[in-house]
Amino acid sequence: MDMLIARNLSVSAALAERPVNVIENLDFSLAPGRILGLVGESGAGKSMIGRTVAQLLPPLFSVSQGELLFDGQNLVTMPADARRELLGRDIAFVPQEPMSGLNPVLTIGQQIDEHLARLQVGNRRTRHDRAVAMLDAVHLPRPAELLSKYPHQLSGGMCQRVLIAMAFASRPKLLVADEPTTALDVTIQARIVQLIAEMQRIDGTSVLFITHDLRLAAQICDEILVLYAGRVAEYGPAREVFARPRHPYTRCLQLSNPVMSGANRGLYTLPERMPGLQALSEMTGCAFASRCPVVREDCTTTPPPLVSLAPAHRAACRHSEATPGIVAPQPPVETAPSAAAPLLSVSNLGKTFRVGRGFFQHEDVAAVKSVNFDLNDNEFIGIVGESGSGKSTVARMLCGLETPTSGTIAVSGRDVTQGDTAARRHLRSYVQMVFQDPQSALNPRRRVGSIVTQSLEATGTGNHAARLARAQALIAEIGLPPEAAFRFPPQLSGGQRQRVNIARALCAEPRILIADEIVSGLDVSVQAQLLNLLLRLRRERGFAMLLISHDLSVVRYLCDRVLVMYRGEVVESGVTADVFDNPQHSYTKTLLAAVPPDDPATIWRPKTDSADGTLPVEDPA
Amino acid sequence: MPSRPLSFLPTWLRSARVLIGIAIVSAIALCAIFAPQIAPHDPNEQNLLSVFLPPVWMQGGDPAFLLGTDSLGRDVLSRLIFGARVAMLVAVLASFGAMIIGATLAYLAGYFGGRIDALIGRAVDVWMSFPPVILSLILMVGLGIGLRNVILAIVLVDWTRFCRVLRSEVLVIARKDYVAAAGLLGFSHWRTITSEIVPATIPLLITLMSLEMGVAVIVEALLSFIGFSVGAQTPAWGQMIADGRQYIYDSPWNLILPILAIFLAVFGFNILGDGLRRTLDVRVSAQRT
Repeated sequence: MDMLIARNLSVSAALAERPVNVIENLDFSLAPGRILGLVGESGAGKSMIGRTVAQLLPPLFSVSQGELLFDGQNLVTMPADARRELLGRDIAFVPQEPMSGLNPVLTIGQQIDEHLARLQVGNRRTRHDRAVAMLDAVHLPRPAELLSKYPHQLSGGMCQRVLIAMAFASRPKLLVADEPTTALDVTIQARIVQLIAEMQRIDGTSVLFITHDLRLAAQICDEILVLYAGRVAEYGPAREVFARPRHPYTRCLQLSNPVMSGANRGLYTLPERMPGLQALSEMTGCAFASRCPVVREDCTTTPPPLVSLAPAHRAACRHSEATPGIVAPQPPVETAPSAAAPLLSVSNLGKTFRVGRGFFQHEDVAAVKSVNFDLNDNEFIGIVGESGSGKSTVARMLCGLETPTSGTIAVSGRDVTQGDTAARRHLRSYVQMVFQDPQSALNPRRRVGSIVTQSLEATGTGNHAARLARAQALIAEIGLPPEAAFRFPPQLSGGQRQRVNIARALCAEPRILIADEIVSGLDVSVQAQLLNLLLRLRRERGFAMLLISHDLSVVRYLCDRVLVMYRGEVVESGVTADVFDNPQHSYTKTLLAAVPPDDPATIWRPKTDSADGTLPVEDPA
Repeated sequence: MPSRPLSFLPTWLRSARVLIGIAIVSAIALCAIFAPQIAPHDPNEQNLLSVFLPPVWMQGGDPAFLLGTDSLGRDVLSRLIFGARVAMLVAVLASFGAMIIGATLAYLAGYFGGRIDALIGRAVDVWMSFPPVILSLILMVGLGIGLRNVILAIVLVDWTRFCRVLRSEVLVIARKDYVAAAGLLGFSHWRTITSEIVPATIPLLITLMSLEMGVAVIVEALLSFIGFSVGAQTPAWGQMIADGRQYIYDSPWNLILPILAIFLAVFGFNILGDGLRRTLDVRVSAQRT
C-alpha cells in the first residue's frame, strides 16, 4: 500500500474576496521506499504541501476538499492528538534552514536526548550511546565530542546532518525534506542529498523531496511532480519527465537552467511571473497560458485535463505534442575582451582578520592569501568557491569596503590600495558593486527612481526632472515598466529588485561591476532573465564584471575566465571552458563533481568526504 | 481583504491605542494652548469666602466651581487647565532636547562604531549609573530653581535613554548593504547618515519621544512638588499636589484631582507611544501578519 496518497486535495486561502485555491485537485501517491520530488518555482505551492502534511498551514489557509492519506489514515480529519503522535515519529521533517531547526541555547546532545526521550528510547545512558551511533551514521566526525557542542559551533552542513540524524532516529515511514540543501554549498549539498538517499535506502523510508532544482530532483528522485501555481503541471518517473518533458512549463524550466557540459546554449527566459492569488481567482483556463510559448486559443477558456501520455506519465496540457518544439535561443555572441592594458590588476592581495578580543587572546585569520589576476575591459571573470573561501572578501576589498593587509589593487594603472580620498574617488569612477541581497541593498524607504539615480544625487548632478528622466531611461534599460520608478523596493519581486540593484550600479557608468552572488536565491526563470540582461548590457554599454558565485553553471554561462578559490587561495584559474572541461586541481574536480549532471542518465558521483570543509588538498602533481 | 474597521486611516493610525493616546494628548494640549479662553476663572483669583469647596457632584458643591476650590478659594478646574501649560511645555521641550543630544550621539556611535562607539557607550554607562532622581536634584541645586532649569535637568538626565535604544537600531541599519552602497556611490558620511539612516529610525524616534514626554511630565511634577520648578504664581500640577497634601483630610479632592491629571497625561503619552511602537515598528507588524 502507498505511504502517502493525495486524493483530489485542494488548499484554499481566504485572502481575497472569495477563497482561492492555492493547491488545486492534487493527486499523487508515494510508495514505500520511494522518493517523490516536488519541483517548481517559488510560489508554486511546494512548501504548502509539506505544511499540509504537518497540518501547519498559515492562518486563513485550510484544506477545502479531498484527503491526504498517510498509511491509510486521513491526516486532514485526524484529531490533533493522534497527529501529534505521528509527527516526529512516523513522519519526520528536515527543514530548509538547518541553523533555525536547532535550539541555539541547548547542546546537540541535549537536543538529541530530548528527541529520543520523546520517542521513549532507552534510559539516559543508552540514549547517549544511541546519540553517538546516530551521529556516526550521518558521517559526522568525533560524534561523542559533538554532543557537547552548541549549534553555532557547527557549520550549516553539520547542523543539517544532525537534523537528518534526528529525523531518522525514529525510523520514520515518511520524511518530508523541504529544500534541505538550498542554504548550503554545492559540495555539501551533494553530501547531504546522498546522505538522505543512503538513510532512506537503509530504513526503506518514503521521502517527499521539495526542491526548486530540477536537475537535482532528476538525480535522486524516483518520481517528479512539477507544480505550477498549485496545480499539477506534470507528474511521472523522474528520468522520463526530465528526458522527455511533456508540459511546456517543465521544458521551459529545463531550458532556463545553464548547462554544465557540452556547448553553451542560450537560456530560455520565461516572461513575467507566476500568477498571484488575485490573478488565480479570476483565471478560467490554464494557469500557465499567460507565459506559455506554445499557447493556443482553447488554453484560456477551460482548465486543461491531466492527460496520460505514457505509463505513469501525465501532463496537464492539451497540446503536449508542441512541447518538444520549444527550443533554447541561440547562445550569446562572444564579445572578445580587449587585450590592451588590464582595467583592473590585482597582485598578491591578502587580508588577515583579527579574531577575538584583547591584546593576548586574539588570533590572526588569513581570509585571503595572495590573490593575483588581471581583468580586461569587457571581460567577465567568475570567482567560484565554497563559503569561507574568501571570495566575498576579495569583492569587498576591490570596492574599498575592506582595506587589504597586503598586496596591491590597481585600477586602470593607478594604485588604489590605500584608500585616501583621491584614490577612493578614482576607484568609484571605475568600480561599482552589485550586492548579494537586494532586500538589504535597497533602502526600503526610497522610491526606485531615487535609488537608481543615487550616484547623481551624490555628485549633485542635474535637477529633479533631469534625474527622473535618467531614472526612466535606466529603468527601461533594465526592462522594468516606467511606473516602477515610483514604487518602493518592498513592492517589487526579488528579480525586479535585483534589476534595480544593477541599475543603481550602472548609473555611475562604471567600467567594472563587482557582483556578489547576484542570482543566488532566485528562481531559475528569474535567474535566466538576469543573466541575459547582464549579457545584453555588456553588448550595449561595454563593461567588465567580476562575478562571485557558488553556482558553477552560472559562471560557465556568463564568464570568459574563472578563478577557483579554496581557503583564501586561487587554486586554479583559466578560460572557463578549459577549467570546466579539464580541471587540474583536485578541489576543482570535487567542486565540478558535486553539481548534478545535465543528463539524468549519467550517474552522479560526487566525492563524499567524511567531514564538511576538511577536504584534503593535494597539489596537482 | 475582509473589510477592517478604520481602514480609511493610514496604517499607523489604525490602532485603538494610538487613537486613544492621540485623543488624550491632544485634549491636554488644547487645554494648555487655549487655557485663558477655556478656564472659567483666573487660576490665581482668591475667593476666601469659599475655600475647600468640594466638586460640584458632592454635597455642598458650587456650580460656579465645577471641581471645587483649594485652601485659598482658587478654582481647581482653572488651575488644572493652566497647569497643563507647564506640563506640556516641559514635556515637549525636554523630550525634544533629550532627543537631539541622545540621537546625535547614537547616530555617531552606531554609524562609525569602533572607538567613537566605545567612548559614547562608556559615557552612557557612567551617566546611567547615577540614580536619575538624585542626578536631577543635584542638577537643580547646581543650576538653580526655575522652569528653564527643570527642562535642562530632564534633558541632561534622559538623553541616555535615547542614545542607548537608538544606537542598537542604528547599528543594525548601518550594517545594511544599502548604507555601504551609498558610500560606494560617493555619499559623504553626513549625507549617508541623514538620507539613509535617519529616515529608518524615525518610527523609533517618534515612539521614544512619546514615552519621554510621559517621563518629563512626572519629573516636572516631582520637581514642582518640592518647589524647584515654577514660582508660586504659576499653577503647576506638582505644586497643587504639594498644596493639597496639607489638607488631605479636609479636602481630599485637592490632592486627588491633580494626581488624576498627571495620571491621565502620562497614560496618554504612554499608550500613544506603545501604540506607535506597534504600528510603526516593522518588526512587530511583521510578526502580526
